[in-house]
Amino acid sequence: MGNVTLTRVTKKFGAVEIIKGVDLTVEDGEFCVFVGPSGCGKSTLLRMIAGLEDISSGSLSIGGRDMTDVDPAERGVAMVFQSYALYPHMTVAENIGFGLRMTGHPKEEIARRTAAAADMLQLKPLLERKPAQLSGGQRQRVAIGRAIVRNPDVFLFDEPLSNLDASLRVQMRIEISKLHQDLKSTMIYVTHDQVEAMTMADKIVVLQAGLIEQVGSPLELYHRPRNIFVAGFIGSPKMNFLKVTARPTEGGVAVTFPGGPSLTIPTETPVIKGETTLTLGIRPEHLDRETGDVTLAGTVRLAEHLGSETLLYVTLADGAEISVKADGLTSARPGDAISIPLLARACHLFDTEGTALHNGDLTR
Amino acid sequence: MFPTPVQKSGPLASAAYQIILPIALVIWLLPLLGVAVTSVRPSGDLAAGNYFGIPSSFAGVENYKAVFRDSPIGTYILNSFKITIPTVIGAVGLSCLAGFALAVYRFKGNLALFFLFVAGNFIPFQILMVPVRDLTLKLGLYDTVTGLVLFHVAFQTGFCTLFMRNFIKGLPFALIESARVEGVSEWRIFLHVVLPLMRPAIAALSVLIFTFVWNDYFWATVLVQGQSAMPVTAGLNSLNGQWVAAWHLVSAGSIVAALPPVLMFFLMQKHFIAGLTLGATKG
Ligand SMILES: Nc1ncnc2c1ncn2[C@@H]1O[C@H](COP(=O)(O)OP(=O)(O)OP(=O)(O)O)[C@@H](O)[C@H]1O
Ligand SMILES: [Mg+2]
Repeated sequence: MGNVTLTRVTKKFGAVEIIKGVDLTVEDGEFCVFVGPSGCGKSTLLRMIAGLEDISSGSLSIGGRDMTDVDPAERGVAMVFQSYALYPHMTVAENIGFGLRMTGHPKEEIARRTAAAADMLQLKPLLERKPAQLSGGQRQRVAIGRAIVRNPDVFLFDEPLSNLDASLRVQMRIEISKLHQDLKSTMIYVTHDQVEAMTMADKIVVLQAGLIEQVGSPLELYHRPRNIFVAGFIGSPKMNFLKVTARPTEGGVAVTFPGGPSLTIPTETPVIKGETTLTLGIRPEHLDRETGDVTLAGTVRLAEHLGSETLLYVTLADGAEISVKADGLTSARPGDAISIPLLARACHLFDTEGTALHNGDLTR
Repeated sequence: MFPTPVQKSGPLASAAYQIILPIALVIWLLPLLGVAVTSVRPSGDLAAGNYFGIPSSFAGVENYKAVFRDSPIGTYILNSFKITIPTVIGAVGLSCLAGFALAVYRFKGNLALFFLFVAGNFIPFQILMVPVRDLTLKLGLYDTVTGLVLFHVAFQTGFCTLFMRNFIKGLPFALIESARVEGVSEWRIFLHVVLPLMRPAIAALSVLIFTFVWNDYFWATVLVQGQSAMPVTAGLNSLNGQWVAAWHLVSAGSIVAALPPVLMFFLMQKHFIAGLTLGATKG
C-alpha cells in the first residue's frame, strides 16, 4: 500500500521556515504532481517524503505507517533525481542492481529483476555500458530502472525530464505515464512543466511559498481555480487579469471596464454586496470567439505565429495588456486595431485578496 | 582556440618562448644535473677542485658499487620503505574517512573541526622538535620505525584531510542521497560509491605523501639515532668518512635513494585520469 499522508508538516532551515504547514493525502496508486514557482519548496517537500530532509514538525505516514522519523531506506520509496545520480564507475546493470546487492538479495534474484526492469525500459542492449557512454534519455531511463527494481510502494520524481530536449521529453513523459499504468504504484512527481502536470497527473498540488494553494484534478484546477495565483499558474499562456469596478445586479455582477464598456456576469449566488473593485480573469483561449457579450477595443502589439495558433499580445484602450489565442490563419499584424469579443460565461472574478468569487464555465 | 598555440602566435612571442623555456629548464634541472654528474666523478676530481667541470674520467660503476659496499644502504632503503609505506597507508586511509565525515555529515562543529585541520597546516613543525622528541623518548618510541611512522602520520593527516574533504565535497551529493534512499548503509556508501570515485585523489595524495616522507631528513635525524631505524636520507650521510667528505659517493647514493619516488610516480600515473565522475549527472 502506498498512500502518503502529510499532516501539518513544516520544515525549517535554521530560522527560515520553508514549508509552512502542509496537509496532503495522496491515495494509493495515484499520480500526484507538485507544481509551483521556483523556490516554493517542491523539492524540499519531496525530499522530506523520501527522508533526505528531516521533518521539523508535523507527521508523515506511508501505507498507514508513521514514517516521520524513519530512515530513507525503510520507507519503501524510490527516488529519481533531476541529475540522474548514476554511479559513474558502475555499468548500467550494476547501477540498476546496486541497491539490491547492497541489501543482501541473492544473485539470481538481482539478475532476474534487473533483466525485467531493463526489458520494461528497453535498456537490454545497454546493460554493459558505463553512464558516460549513454545519452541523456538513456541515463534517465537507467535512473528510472534503478527505482523500478526495488519495487517500491511510492515513486518520487524530482523534475526528471528537465534536462532533456523537447522531443525526448514528450517521449519520456509518455513512457512514465505508461509505467504508472503498468505498475499501479503511487507516484509523486515534481515539475515546472505545465504540460507534464496537466497530462500526467491524477492530482495536481499547486504550491507557493511553502503552502498549498490548491489540490485537484488538472481540469478542476484549470476550470475552477480557487484563487488568482492558481488561475495564473495553471494554463499557458497565462490567464488575463483586468481591473474592473463591479456592483451587484439581479442574478449576477455588473462589471465596468476602465475603457467604458460594461457587462453582466451571471452568478449562481450573489458574490458581492456593494460596489467594489474586482479582478476579472479570462483565459486567452476564450477570447477567440465570433461574437461576445461585449467587445474590447485594442491594438495588436505583437503576434506570435505558431502555425496551429497565433498568440496576439494586445494593448487595450486604457493601456492594459491582454493576450489572445487566435486561429493560426489570423491575418492580424502588429499595429492593427482589433476588437476582442468577451463572453460573460467565460469570466472569472477575484476579490482584492485574490480569492475567487466566481469561476466562469463555458458549459453552462 | 584559447590559448593560442605558440606555433601560431607572433614571431616575438615564439622567439621568447624558444629562448626562455630552455633557460628555465636548465635552471630547474641544474642541481639535479650537478648531482648526476658528481655521482660519476672519480674521487680525484673532487680532491683536485674540479667540482663543476667535465669529469676527468667516468667513474660511475666504481662509485655506485662503493655505495653498496661501503654503507648499509640496503638496510637504509628498507627502513625508508618500512617508514614510508605505513605512513602513506595510515595518512591516506585516515584522511579518506575523516574527509568523508567532514564532507558528508552535517554536525555541530563540523566547520570548526575542518578549520582546525586547515590551521594545523600552518604550524611550522620544526618548532615542535623538542616536545616531540621528549614525547617519543617517554613513550619508548625513540629510535624506532614505529615512532617515525606515528609522527609522520600525525603530521601528514591534516593536509590530507583538507584535500580529501574538498575532493569529496566536489562529488555530486545526489549519488550519496540516491544510495541512501536505496537502503545502502553509510559504511557501504563510503566503500562502494565514494571510495571508487576518489581514486584519482588517493593516487595523487599517495604519491605526494610518499615523496614527502621518503625525502624527509628532519624527523629522521631528530627521532632516530642508530642504523636500525635510519631511513636512507639520513643514512647517506654515513658515506662521508669521519675525516674526508666523499661527495661523489653521497651523490651516487642520492640518485639511488631518489629512484623509488620516481617509480612510484610512474606506477600511479594511470590513476590520475580526471573525469572519473563523467556521466554521473546530466553532463
Ligand atoms: N539546505 C538548505 N538550506 C537552506 N535553505 C534551503 C536549503 N534547501 C533549500 N532551501 C531553500 O528552500 C526553498 C525551497 O527550495 P526547493 O529546492 O524546495 O525549491 P523548489 O520548489 O524545488 O524550486 P525549483 O523549482 O527551483 O527546483 C528555497 O528558497 C531554498 O533557498
Ligand atoms: Mg527543485
